[in-house]
Amino acid sequence: MDSSYLPAGGAANGGGAGNNGGPGSAAQQAAPIREQDRLMPIANVIRIMRRVLPPHAKISDDAKETIQECVSEYISFITGEANERCQREQRKTITAEDVLWAMSRLGFDDYVEPLSVYLHRYREFEGEARGVGLAPGATPRGGGGGGDHPHPMLKSRAPGSAAMLPHHHDMQMHHAAMYGGAVPPHHGFVMPHQAGQYLPYPYDPTTYAGEHAMAAYYGGGAPYAPGNGGGSGDGSGSSAAQGGSFEHQHPFAYK
Amino acid sequence: MRQARPYSGIFCGGVSARTGPHALPLARIKKIMKRSAGEAAAAADGGARMISGEAPVVFSKACELFIAELTRRAWAATLEGKRRTVHKEDVATAVHNTDLFDFLIDVVTADDAAAGDDVNDGDGLGPLE
Repeated sequence: MDSSYLPAGGAANGGGAGNNGGPGSAAQQAAPIREQDRLMPIANVIRIMRRVLPPHAKISDDAKETIQECVSEYISFITGEANERCQREQRKTITAEDVLWAMSRLGFDDYVEPLSVYLHRYREFEGEARGVGLAPGATPRGGGGGGDHPHPMLKSRAPGSAAMLPHHHDMQMHHAAMYGGAVPPHHGFVMPHQAGQYLPYPYDPTTYAGEHAMAAYYGGGAPYAPGNGGGSGDGSGSSAAQGGSFEHQHPFAYK
Repeated sequence: MRQARPYSGIFCGGVSARTGPHALPLARIKKIMKRSAGEAAAAADGGARMISGEAPVVFSKACELFIAELTRRAWAATLEGKRRTVHKEDVATAVHNTDLFDFLIDVVTADDAAAGDDVNDGDGLGPLE
């Protein structure tokens, strides 16, 4: 059934490339789209499916392939909406915020909160990984275990993010706790950004949203300040800091 | 049974060499995004669209949630039919029964048409007791 899809897709694309003849993109589009470019790897898809199915459940090959197709369609669907927004606002880059905004627009509101948390975690992690790389002197590995991870994100990042920040030293403790296997104390943590701080270009070193987040969270009581004796104090500090943030947990929902 | 927690994905997805801690490869996601955004941009203003490095990160998790939801709903259809193998038509049923998945109707019906008449073969296991 993939073979039946490909000629159609290839033809449509061939036509598109012929029409616009844009530099660079034309060569890419003229080539028939390989399956490995068009679909998520089947093994990954199956792994995620199995996680939600009971152990005795079986999955037919056609169901796997259909879900694989659906995932690609989902990405295109959301990206299309995000793209339109960028176009309206005359921006060239589709950001994570555009994607989240598109999801809430298209009915996937339920995903927005967990994804915001995920993104926030990613930024923290990224900050920490960068911090370790840039300032090897400041690496309090409180929880142990952190050193076993090669910080794989570093490899997958765009080089542009190098500007991002050596300012997250105080996050080390926090991540050490996570890596140590403990449940993060502030597990309902949501993106603390105010809607107004919501930035179209998160890599801009002067306006990186994470920095505002850190300031908001760790400026006052500084529960994670270096020198604080480990993870034990984290729970109380973070839960106190958390209070206000719930009010704007959906910064993209309205706009 | 191990439940994937929506908040902890970045740390429980398993760190593999290919995808890092993400359950789905970011490069692949980006390719799919680029194709869809690139076509739209080419049609509208001829400009190429760029994609921030964080957008595929969000999608890697979003697709997990999406696959899980679609699978759960398909499984409900499987159980309805007293079977234990999820078939393509269960996915189609899930799509048809969920407004949120309206955008997938073409995908599941095109698939049906392409696959022809082998949709009713059952799974040969007999009914689920």
